[in-house]
Amino acid sequence: MDLRYTPEQEAFRAEARAWLEANVPAEPLPSFDTEVGFARHREWERTLWDGRWSAVSWPEEYGGRGADYLHWLIFEEEYYRAGAPGRVNQNGIFLLGPTIMEVGTEEQKARFLPTMASSEIVWAQAWSEPNAGSDLAAIRSTGVLSDDGAEWVLNGQKIWASRAVWADWCFGIFRTDPEAERHRGLTFVLVPLDAPGVTVRPIAQLDGDTGFAEIFFDDVHVPVENTLGEVHQGWRVAMATAGFERGVSLRSPARFSATADRLVALWKEHADPSDTALRDAVVDVWMQAEGYKLHTYMTVTQMIEGRTIGAEASLNKIFWSEMDVRIHELALDIAGPEAERMDGPFERWVDGFLFSLSGPIYAGTNEIQRNIIADRVLQLPRGA
Amino acid sequence: MRFAFTDDQKLFAEGLRDLLEKECTPARVRAAWDDGTGHDSTLWSHLADMGVFGMLVPESAGGLGGTEIDLVLLLEELGRAAAPGPVFETAAVVAPALGDAATVGTVALDGSPYVPHAHVASLVLVPGGIARTEGSTLTAVDSIDGGRRLFTVEGPREPFAYDEALAFDRGALAAAAYLVGVSERMIDVAAEYARQREQYGRPIGVNQAVKHLLADALLKVEFAKPAVYRAAWSVAADEPTRARDVSIAKAFASDAAYRSSRSAMQVHGAIGYTWEADLQLWMKKAWALQRAWGDATFHRRRVAEAVL
Repeated sequence: MDLRYTPEQEAFRAEARAWLEANVPAEPLPSFDTEVGFARHREWERTLWDGRWSAVSWPEEYGGRGADYLHWLIFEEEYYRAGAPGRVNQNGIFLLGPTIMEVGTEEQKARFLPTMASSEIVWAQAWSEPNAGSDLAAIRSTGVLSDDGAEWVLNGQKIWASRAVWADWCFGIFRTDPEAERHRGLTFVLVPLDAPGVTVRPIAQLDGDTGFAEIFFDDVHVPVENTLGEVHQGWRVAMATAGFERGVSLRSPARFSATADRLVALWKEHADPSDTALRDAVVDVWMQAEGYKLHTYMTVTQMIEGRTIGAEASLNKIFWSEMDVRIHELALDIAGPEAERMDGPFERWVDGFLFSLSGPIYAGTNEIQRNIIADRVLQLPRGA
Repeated sequence: MRFAFTDDQKLFAEGLRDLLEKECTPARVRAAWDDGTGHDSTLWSHLADMGVFGMLVPESAGGLGGTEIDLVLLLEELGRAAAPGPVFETAAVVAPALGDAATVGTVALDGSPYVPHAHVASLVLVPGGIARTEGSTLTAVDSIDGGRRLFTVEGPREPFAYDEALAFDRGALAAAAYLVGVSERMIDVAAEYARQREQYGRPIGVNQAVKHLLADALLKVEFAKPAVYRAAWSVAADEPTRARDVSIAKAFASDAAYRSSRSAMQVHGAIGYTWEADLQLWMKKAWALQRAWGDATFHRRRVAEAVL
C-alpha cells in the first residue's frame, strides 16, 4: 500500500490543472438542459477535445490519452476543483464509448468514437419505456429485419432519454425476437435522431428544463451495421453499459468532494457555529465524500490490477446518490428562507438539490440496487 | 499510488483466519465468557506464536517489525472471530509502546473510568505512565461483553514516557478494524439465517424488506473498510492528517457496527433476542467497542476540528 502519488502522476495533475486554469470559462455556462446551454456545452466539449482532455481514459487512437483509472481520477479531481462545466456528452463518452470499445467492431470504433470524443455527435440513452423502468427487460419497442436483411425497422416508444432533446444520436435496446425469453431476444442499436420516423418530445423535469424526452419510433430504418454487439444479445451489452454507469465512470468522487467542500465553505460563511447538530451533520457528509473517494481509489487499484467490478457497483450507486441528496439538504438548511427562492444567492444549491433527487432513481433505483447487492453479493435467495 | 494489500499481507490474514476457525470458535468464545475471565490463554499463546503481538515490535526486540498496514487485516480477523481478551490492545497499542511483544497489556486512554481486561493484563498503559496490575486494586464491574471484562484499577502509577497521541490513534484504529470484522461476521451470520429460515413456505431472504436491511448494513461496512485501511496507512506513514484519518475510520466503523448489529438481530427475529444465539457474541462486541476509544460523535468532532 502506498497512498502517495508518483512524480509522474503529480506531473500529470499539474498539466491538467494548468490547462484547466487557462481554459475553463470564467462564468458558469447556462444549464445544458436548455437550447443555448446545450450549444455552449458542446463548444466546451470541443475545447476539451482540442486539448485532448475530453476522454482521457480512452486510447490515443480515438482521441484519448490512454490514461489508466488513477490518472482519470486525478484529472477528475482537477476538473471539478476548477469548477469546469458538466459533461453534456457523458452518456456517450462515459457509457456508450467504453461499451463500443468492449463489444464494437473495429469499423464501429473508427466510425463512432472520434466524433463522440469531440462531441460532434452527442448521445442520448434510449432504454426505459413507459412500462419498462426498473423492470427493464419488459421492453416492447421492436426491431424487425427488413426483407433484404440490410436494415432494422424500429417501432415503439422510449422515455426518460436524457439529453435527447438536442442530442444527435441515441443508443437503444429493441426487442428483435418476440419468441425468446424476455432477457434474450433484445438487440442494442445505434440510431440517428434525425432519421425519418423519429419524433422527440421533450419532457420538462422537476426544475422545469427539458433535460429528458420521449422518443417515438415509427418505422425507423437503420442499417444493421448500427447493431452493437450480437443480434439478440442486447441485454448483455446493456448490462456492461449499466456497470459503467453504476460503477466508477459516471460519478467520480471529485465531483462530490468539490460539492462537499463548497458546503463546508457555505457553513463557514453562513451557519451559526454554536449549532452543533448542524456542524456534526456537515462534517459527517464531508466525511462521506472522503469515504467515497477512498472507496473509489481502492476499487480503481483493483481494476488496474485486473479485477472487474460486478454487483459491488450497486454499493457505489446507493452511496453517492444518497450522499449527494444529503449534501444539498444541508446546504438548504443553511440557506434558510432563501432556500425557497429559485433565483436567489443560493440558486445553485436549489438547482443542485432538485438534480440530486434524480440520483436515487436513475440508472436503476436504489431499491433495485439493494436487491442486486442482497442477491449477488450476500447471496440471498431471489424473489418468486 | 497503490491502495491495496500485498499478497503476503493477505496470506498472513488468511492464516490467522484458519487459526481462529479452530481456536476461536463461538463455543470457545462462550467458554471465555462463562468462566468469568473473558480471556482464552490457549488462544493467546497461538496468537503470540504467530507473531500477532509482535507485528509492531522491531525485529531487534523479537518482533516482526511490521507496520499498522501489516496489522490491520489481522485485527479485522480477530473481530470476525470475536476474539476475547486484550488482543488488539496488546497488539496495536501496548506492544509498540513498550517495544515488547511478550507482555499482556491493556490500556486506559479513552477517558473511560473502566479498564478492560485488567485482570489478565500485567500492566495498564495510562496517561503519563503505566499501572502494574500486581500491586493495584482491581474491582470488577459487570460488562455487557463477556469477552471484555471491565475493572476499576486503583494503585500507584509509574512514570513512563511514550507517545500518548500515537497510542490513542493506534487504539482507535485497532478498534475500528476489529469492528469491521465484527460487522462483516454479523452480516454473514444473518445472511445465512435468511437463506435457511423459512416462513410462508419460502426462505425469509426472498423478501425485499429483509434484503434491504442487510444491504444497508453491508453498504456501511464496505465504505468503512477503505477508511480504516487509509487510517492504517496514515498512522504507519505518520501523515500530518493522522488524527483526522483515524477519526474518519472509527466514526465509520462505529456506525457500521451498530447498523450491522441492528440489521442482523432484526433478520434473526426472536432467536436474535436469546442468550442461546451466537449472534450476541458479536453484537455485544459491537456495542462495547462502538463507544470505546471514542464514539462516532467524538470522532466526527475531531474531524470537524481539522476540516471546519
